[in-house]
Parts: sequence; structure tokens; C-alpha cells
Amino acid sequence: MNPRTRKALEFVLDNLVWFMLVFVLIVFSIFVPNYFQLGIFANIIEASSVLGVMSIGLSLVIIAGHMDLSVESVAALSAMTVGILFCSSGIGMGIQLNPQWLMVPVSLLIAMAVGGIIGAFNGYLVVKVKMSAFIITLASYIWVRGLVLVISGGRSAQDLAPAIRWFAIQRLAGLPLTAWIAVACFVLFSLIMAKTPFGRHLIMIGGNETATFRAGIRVNRNLVIAFVLAGAIAGLAGWLLAIRTSGATANLGVGLLFNAFAAVVIGGVSLKGGVGTLPGVYAGVLLLSSINTAINLMGLPANFTQVIHGLLVLAAVLLDAFKQTIRQRLA
Amino acid sequence: MTEPLLVLENVTKNYGAIQALRGISFSIGKGEVVALLGDNGAGKSTLVKIIAGGLEPSSGRMLFEGKEFLAKSPAEAKAAGIETVYQDLSLCTNVDVVANFFMGREITRKVLGIPILDERAMEAVVGKALASAGTRIPSLRTNVEHLSGGQRQAIELNRFVHWGGKLVLLDEPFAALGVEQTRRGLEMIRQVANQGIGVVIITHIMQQAFQVADRIVVIRQGVVAGDVARNKTSPDAVINMITGETLAGAGPAG
Repeated sequence: MNPRTRKALEFVLDNLVWFMLVFVLIVFSIFVPNYFQLGIFANIIEASSVLGVMSIGLSLVIIAGHMDLSVESVAALSAMTVGILFCSSGIGMGIQLNPQWLMVPVSLLIAMAVGGIIGAFNGYLVVKVKMSAFIITLASYIWVRGLVLVISGGRSAQDLAPAIRWFAIQRLAGLPLTAWIAVACFVLFSLIMAKTPFGRHLIMIGGNETATFRAGIRVNRNLVIAFVLAGAIAGLAGWLLAIRTSGATANLGVGLLFNAFAAVVIGGVSLKGGVGTLPGVYAGVLLLSSINTAINLMGLPANFTQVIHGLLVLAAVLLDAFKQTIRQRLA
Repeated sequence: MTEPLLVLENVTKNYGAIQALRGISFSIGKGEVVALLGDNGAGKSTLVKIIAGGLEPSSGRMLFEGKEFLAKSPAEAKAAGIETVYQDLSLCTNVDVVANFFMGREITRKVLGIPILDERAMEAVVGKALASAGTRIPSLRTNVEHLSGGQRQAIELNRFVHWGGKLVLLDEPFAALGVEQTRRGLEMIRQVANQGIGVVIITHIMQQAFQVADRIVVIRQGVVAGDVARNKTSPDAVINMITGETLAGAGPAG
């Protein structure tokens, strides 16, 4: 095999999910009526913003060789906290700040702080008590959702302060600001993972934790930061969720975790750790979102979505194994 | 002997009731190569881990450059100037050669106060280091998982030569190397020692020990069973010390 075909093949393998996305978009545009419109594409990006943001945090922890099942419940707790504080009806307390815009940074900080604290708790237990991240975050997944029920009493908060709602309504280049926030997060964290020592260390910890420890990298510190980031980013996802629904309900975001997982795996992140990039994850998120949109447009019952997502995850894992064999042949 | 770099005094390590090290005392001078020999399970790797900060000793003390020394983590040992090459390789196979070479010590430049990896500078350094050691690796940007065992070990050896420090610990560094690469590896050790760096090399191969070491220290059942200058002993005598046919400490030269 000459070096050029080899390079081309490696490029395709590295960016497989983007090719899949383009392929799927073309197929849908041809076969699904009304699919090919700018509005639909904008809608795909918009609909994927919460899922996208949540997938970033999940990816960081999985790339570092661990697991965070709590992101969905953390997002719900952050959303509920913001809802209770800044909604004016339901269980909302309707807190007003002067000037109005001050509510935006304050609510955002509160949402991210709530997430960050739970992330720190998870990280501490994983690093210091050396428990399995799977079990700890499974527990958090359950108790944090329980906490949402406790603080809301099962009721909901409606009518989020207009100053915060502004983000869902205001559009820039055809996309609401919430979608731009998701895109900005992907750009920011893609750069962090690819260009900074912190990102490099996370990837190496996911590859061989012992080696990084021996090399003098502060593994524990980096892992705790990754968990805190995952929590804070989940908090941001919850903030976006509250804005999109203009409030919070006790069962807000149920099922997002599995979609986030699907996106992360489809995006080429290995559950074994150490492998995967955030642009790939974003492509995975967009892929899921475009399939959802197609299902809606075709008028299929929404229940099909879940079946298709499940099959897609299976396909992604199979594809991953297939990629591995091709790579071994290349080497 | 030259000025002592590292002195161990009665270092012990217990795992519950099991005594892996029962009191090790010896010293390493600057620019000296010490071969650490002993049968499987004699405690060599445990000892290396204690010096390198991977394990804490149960008792005893160490002096590094005349000062009391105890590394609580590999990072501390590294900061003090102790480099270690472990028996099971310490490479991250999921990243490329350059990333492994600089693991934990990346060259960065500040952009708006944020450290950004300087890939070009790092690649240049690695290219130079590997070339001067005669190691050939097709592309520095290939992930280590695609490299052979020998190439991987060469990366580790080049890494320690490059970073140097004050003391180098090598735990069976040549296990995956061919004849020619081993010869070059032994040369590297001499070269490093000539710069005034102390070297401790664990090996099973008597010939290697006699080729490279200034002094040979034998550990048996967790104690030093012999500590002799290379030119005052013979392979047979050392084997006797390892297997325990000679009394502890009774090397031929005394």
C-alpha cells in the first residue's frame, strides 16, 4: 500500500463519523420529503444543544478512563435549582435581580456550581476511596434525581425570568443563542483536549494510568478536575434545558443519559478510555439529532426513535471493532 | 569511592507479615554504575520502587546528596532528579512517540496566559534525541501501539538519557531488545554515568552486569548478600552470592 492511500484511509477512519453524518444527511435529503431546508438543519443543531453539552462532560471522563452516569440527574438538579430560584409561577420563587441581565450570569454560575459540587463529590470518591466510578456515579444518578424530587415535591416551576429566556429567543445567523453556546463549548473543549497539557494528560491517563503516575503527572488531581468539569458542564446543560422549557419539571431530561452515551460511542470515544475526540462526539450528537428529525418528518411514531438509537449504538460499537482490525492491518 | 549520591540505611518493607526487604543498606556514588542482582523475589523491584517514590518503606532511611530523602510520589522523586525505567514499560500506547517522550514535561508556550502544547518544538527535540542514539522510528507521530517491543523500549531508554537528572534506576531495561540494541543501550548507560549521573541497573544477565557495572550488589531474601567492585569478583562468585552458597556479605574481595 503506498503512503498516500494509507494516509487517506487513516483520515477516513479518524473522521468516520463525519462521513456517516454527511452520508445520512444526503440520503435523508433525497428520500425524506421536506428534509432539505436550512430551517431543518438549523433545527437539528438547535435540538442537539443540550445533548451536545452533556456529551462533552461525559466524554472528558470516559476519555480519562472512567465513567460518569450522573450527568443526566445533575443537569436536572441544576435546571430545577435555576427553575425554583428564577421562575415566577409553580414552585418558582421568582427572585428578581437588578439590573435584569444580572440574572443570566448568576443563574448560570449557580447551575454550574451545583453540577461542579456533585462532580467533586464523585471525583473525590473515585480518587481517594478508590471506588469504581461506574458504581459511584450510578448511585449519584439515583440520589441526585431523588434530590430533584425532594426539592420540587414532584411539582414544577414555570415562567422563567424573561431576561434568561432571552437566550432561547434571540437568534444569531439563524440559530438561537443556546445552540451557539453548545457550539462554543465544543470548540473550547476540543481545543483544551488537543492543545493543552491538561487535555494531553487526560488522554494519557485514559491510556495507561500507571505510566502517567510514574511519569510524575498528578493523576488524582487531573481526574478530580475532569469529574468537576463533567459536573459543571452537566450543570450548564441543565441551565440550557431550563431555558428551553422555560422552567423545570421533576422528570426533566429523563433518558438524556442514554442518548449522551450513544452520541459519545457513535462519536468514536472508546469506553476503555484514552481514545476519542470531541469533534467526533459533536458529529455523533448531530447524527442522532438528524435521525430524530427524519423520524419526525416521516411521521413515524416517536417510539421508533429509541429502537433506532439502540441499533445505532450497536452499529457504532461494531464499527469501532472493525476500525481496530483495519488499523492493525495498516500498522 | 566517589562522593555518595544516594545512601540507603537499613531500609525495610513489610507487606503484612511478609518481609519483602529486611534491611537494605548500600550506597551509590556520582557517576557510578551499580548492578543490582538477585534471584526472582529477592526484593529488587520493591527496592527500586521505594527509591523512585512508588512505594513507601516500612522503616529505615535514605540520604540523597547528603540530605534525608523520602519520595512520597514519583513526581517528588523526579523533581529531586531520579529517573526510572520500569520493567513493565511505562508508555501510553494510545498517544504518539512525542507525547510519550514528554509525558508530564510538555514544552508549552503561553497564549493569553494559557499553556499551549508546542508540538513543533517537542518533535524537534525527540527527533534529535532519537537520531543521536541511533534509534530509527518511521514516524514520531505514530501511536506507540503500532510500534514493536524493541522500539518501545528504545523510546524509554532514550527518554531517560535525555532527561538525565542525577540518578537513574533501570529495572531490566533490555528485556525486549535485540543484541545490537542492547549493546547500544549499555553504551548509553556508560555515557550517562560519565556525565556524573548515578545508575542502578537491575538485570538477570550476568554478562550485562559485568560489562557495564562498576560495582555489583547482590540481594538475597531481602538483605544485601554481597557488595563488591566488579573488577574484584567473578561471575561464578556472584552466582554463589545470589543462590546463597556464600555467606552473606562474604564476597571474594571482602
